[in-house]
Amino acid sequence: MSCSKENKLVAIVDDDDSVRGTLHELLRSAGFPSRAFESAEKFLESGHLQETGCLITDIRMPGMSGLELQARLNAERCRIPTIFITAHGDEQMRFQALRAGAVEFLPKPFDDEVLIESVRAALER
Amino acid sequence: MGFPGKMKWTPGPAWPVAMRYGLAVVSVAAALGLSLAFVHFHLPQPFGTFALSAVALTFWYAGTAPGILAAVLSSAVRDYFFEPEINTESRLLFDLVFLVFALLMTRVTRERNKLELRVAERTAELTQSNESLKREIAKHNQIEAELRLSEAYLAEAQRLSHTGSWAWSPLSGDIRYWSEECYRVQGFDPKGGQPRFEEFFQRVHPDDQPRVAEVIERAVREKEDFEFDYRIIHPGGEMRDARSVGHPILSPTGDLVEYVGTIIDVTDRRQAEKERERLREAQADLAHVSRMTTMGELTASLAHEVNQPITAAVNGASTCVRWLTREVPDLGEAREAALGVIRNAKRAADIINRIRSISKKGESKRQLADVNVLIGEMIALLRNEANRYSISIQVNLDANLPKVMADSVQVQQVIMNLMMNSFDSMKDIDRPRELAIRSRPADDQYLMISVTDSGVGLPSEQANQIFDAFFTTKSHGLGMGLRISRSIVESHGGRLWAANNAPHGASFSFTLPIPAEAPE
Repeated sequence: MSCSKENKLVAIVDDDDSVRGTLHELLRSAGFPSRAFESAEKFLESGHLQETGCLITDIRMPGMSGLELQARLNAERCRIPTIFITAHGDEQMRFQALRAGAVEFLPKPFDDEVLIESVRAALER
Repeated sequence: MGFPGKMKWTPGPAWPVAMRYGLAVVSVAAALGLSLAFVHFHLPQPFGTFALSAVALTFWYAGTAPGILAAVLSSAVRDYFFEPEINTESRLLFDLVFLVFALLMTRVTRERNKLELRVAERTAELTQSNESLKREIAKHNQIEAELRLSEAYLAEAQRLSHTGSWAWSPLSGDIRYWSEECYRVQGFDPKGGQPRFEEFFQRVHPDDQPRVAEVIERAVREKEDFEFDYRIIHPGGEMRDARSVGHPILSPTGDLVEYVGTIIDVTDRRQAEKERERLREAQADLAHVSRMTTMGELTASLAHEVNQPITAAVNGASTCVRWLTREVPDLGEAREAALGVIRNAKRAADIINRIRSISKKGESKRQLADVNVLIGEMIALLRNEANRYSISIQVNLDANLPKVMADSVQVQQVIMNLMMNSFDSMKDIDRPRELAIRSRPADDQYLMISVTDSGVGLPSEQANQIFDAFFTTKSHGLGMGLRISRSIVESHGGRLWAANNAPHGASFSFTLPIPAEAPE
């Protein structure tokens, strides 16, 4: 799996339709092109990894979890700056994610300014 | 009753004709023989006397005609044997005496016959009335025996049903009838005889007396039925609940004659009703506790479930603000985003309502319910929990399922318990975690809901115990879920059972009765 950072696409992975949809709309209103995926598997299979400059992912999902996705990408030397969003994240989970290279760890619901800033920072890396 | 016809009476002795006339001949011959003997021994000639005796004898025993024959024969014998040469005058006188005697004897015989006839008639009548009297007595005895038997049955029925019967005259105030059971119910000693109305009234609880008096007085005034509940205080102080019902008996002119009615001891029935009510309450409480326990296990999932639409709503609101605060505000985009906010906020409210409805404690309410809708709501509530453990849910609902009369919260509790059990059975397995929920009509009378999983299956040696209270294989939970689920299903008239699946997993199914006339 090849992985470069030439493109500035934001990928959203969340199993909840409404969260995924509204997140996509939020990024659009802020001027970021984004693509939304309902699972980690779908994202990995999408063929959009090369264009992805920032990944926003839920942690707890049916199938592959957000942390597993991050580990998988790391293992394949495809370090996409990742922002985790979760409804029930604890400190241990936050620590684990940040140590694995996460840009940000946001509890749902989150402040749009914080998210947008994190996305911008991720894309500028 | 028919008396046999009067016996036919033939006047005169019931001898054959030959004997009757024979008597005439023999008696006259005897008179002749005796007289000849007298003459032979030089005694005065007595034929006249003997002949009269022979005539009288014949009349008496052989009847009129032989009697006349005897008279004629006597006359002829006398003429021939004793006084052949007597003059005509004295012979005529002699014959006249015989004639008069014969006539007198005829009359005497007739009177005798009449008398005998009357005696015979009276005897027959007496025999007849004696026999009918015997029949009457036998009949009376039989009726009395039947009456005694039916009275015994009635007394037994009264005893079994704690129902006494009475009759009471409001005018005189006398209790005219007071059945054995009345004594028992009211706590009177039968040896003390029928109680007076005042004695009955004294046994009524003082708090109930004014009401009872009023009910009775009004009924008597209006000549109407009455019915009242009251408490009885027995001489030993024991209190019993009773109910009395009375019905007025009116004369043909419409005057009140008496009241007849019953006294029923309803203490045991009341007590049983109270017990049942307490049991129902306890069951409802337990079901509620069990529901709340299950909901407690779901807290994390439910919080997540509510958090999702809230997150979406916040996202939408942020988006809306961004479109509005651009240098050139885009109202169309802002409007779309705001509509999304409304949609998601409503979704959050719906979830909270669903949680609240299953958590609430309330009276059991049965109404027509669509089981498919109930299943759908439970899946929505538990979807997140399933996701959390990577369990996929297959739904297979019969679209034409008839509605059932059910308490929606309770049926959802059963569905929730079965789904949660299936989740638990799959948390530690490596093969795909699959739950299938299915609804379909089992037959004309029942519909069937089944929950099938690919989990660890039922504990084989404890398969029968899973429905027992406090039986659990889990580290958490009360072990009440299946017990309560079964009692809920059974109280709805259905059945709940479990079975293992091949090659693995378990299946829980329950039925609910389809109402006789299933409304569309």
